[in-house]
Amino acid sequence: MQNQQSTPKLELRNITKWFGPKDTGVCAVDNCSLAVQKGEFICVVGPSGCGKSTLMTVGAGLEQPTEGEILVDGKPAGPPGPQRSVVFQKFALFPSETVAQNIKFGLQMCGVDAKEQERRLVEQLKIMKLEQFRDAYPSELSGGMQQRVAIARSLVMQPEILLMDEPFGALDAQTRTILQEEVQRLHREHHYTVLFITHSVEEAVYLGDRVIVMSRRPGRIKKEISLPRDVVWKRGDIEVAAEHPDFIAARREIWALVREEIIAQ
Amino acid sequence: MTSNKVAFVGAGATLLWVAIWAWLTREGGPVSELFFPSPGDVLDRLIMFWSRPYIGSTLMGHILSSLSIVLAGWVLGGIVGVPLGIAMAWWTRLKWIVFPIFQLIRPVPPLAWIPLTLLWIGIGDAARIFVVFIAALVPWVMNSMHAVYSVDKLLIDAGRTLGANDRKILTRIVIRSAIPTLLAGARIALGNAWTTLVAAELLAATAGLGYVALNASRMLDTDVLVVAMLLIGLLGVMLSALMGLAARMFAPWVKNDRNGG
Repeated sequence: MQNQQSTPKLELRNITKWFGPKDTGVCAVDNCSLAVQKGEFICVVGPSGCGKSTLMTVGAGLEQPTEGEILVDGKPAGPPGPQRSVVFQKFALFPSETVAQNIKFGLQMCGVDAKEQERRLVEQLKIMKLEQFRDAYPSELSGGMQQRVAIARSLVMQPEILLMDEPFGALDAQTRTILQEEVQRLHREHHYTVLFITHSVEEAVYLGDRVIVMSRRPGRIKKEISLPRDVVWKRGDIEVAAEHPDFIAARREIWALVREEIIAQ
Repeated sequence: MTSNKVAFVGAGATLLWVAIWAWLTREGGPVSELFFPSPGDVLDRLIMFWSRPYIGSTLMGHILSSLSIVLAGWVLGGIVGVPLGIAMAWWTRLKWIVFPIFQLIRPVPPLAWIPLTLLWIGIGDAARIFVVFIAALVPWVMNSMHAVYSVDKLLIDAGRTLGANDRKILTRIVIRSAIPTLLAGARIALGNAWTTLVAAELLAATAGLGYVALNASRMLDTDVLVVAMLLIGLLGVMLSALMGLAARMFAPWVKNDRNGG
């Protein structure tokens, strides 16, 4: 493991998760450990149903692990909260609230004063290019726009860790490409610490500083691959990046690992 | 079909039905006026009834009597039913305490409460309010409970990761997201309340449209009987339309649900 000298921002230590009673239920995750350093972008890939989403739910504190512990800055993480912000695959926007109300939600829960709420809202609307949708309801927006709102709702909290659970899985290919580039840019400019779950190998190679490949169920960590960080090809569009020899090599290596697991199922 | 077209077809169809009615009940037509009055007779009686009292009260008086009792029973049902339904969904233990009694009451038609109500409270307004309350309570509770159940668990997770405590999750996420279903429940409750009231007035009342209909039937006055039935129908439609309007007002985010994504 890298950077063992510094305390990781987020650490999942020996996580095992059973659904239903232990030994007779379903074991979704089996003794997984991973550490995300400050400012690092970690992608977890694996076949569907391998428990990678469970890993994230546990990491966010939304589910209790059967065994193991979650540490933030080396201390037990406790209940879920805005320091570990989550972006869900299905957006999870509050249907009865406008874009602005959705984005302000977390700030209001944390008692941020109205003036500051407004300032951060306006800033975030600008970053996510949502200015003209401020007063729209989620049901009036396309899927891509809804996910932009959800990302804005997380980022506005200035989270220490951003957990993203297949955030682009429900979007069409074109929208997905645009948002991948957007997230790449956000990470580069703001150095967010990100744990990103995906089933797309390309997405993982394009976005991740490190890619963690999970085995089929029960999910174990099969391999960890470090990717070149902050290289020029990652700064460009994903189609351009996908033509770079390093990208192709990494994609091939990771896909071979994932493929093994899918075939063995 | 556009809404203009729908309105046009609807108006045309209504006129056609009235024309068929007029033709069937014309003088010397196949239906005798004693059996069923013609539209003209009904209109005459409606106008007469408007200014001259019938069995103790003018038309407006009877309408207001019916409406006020329905609203009282319906509102009381909501005051009890909505918090109860939400609480039953939120605290499973409460649900299992209340549910057995509730399941037992549910299949009993509200009108079957009338004999007991007569013994308890007599035949005054309070008795009818009580029967209407029972009729409205069941849909209020059931829909409130299901409204909470139908809130996506993911929204609760999202709320927790944004720092909401249990109270905020209940008030700001669960109840607000449940509003459309709550309003649907309110509409069903109002429909139930209305039909039950009219039936209750047939059995035990001193005013109201059901009371008018019953008296008219005893007097073989089919004109007034049909006037009363027509008004019962029209007011039912109006109440339902008002609830539709309320739904658009209180849940404005629902209207564009279909073109999401």
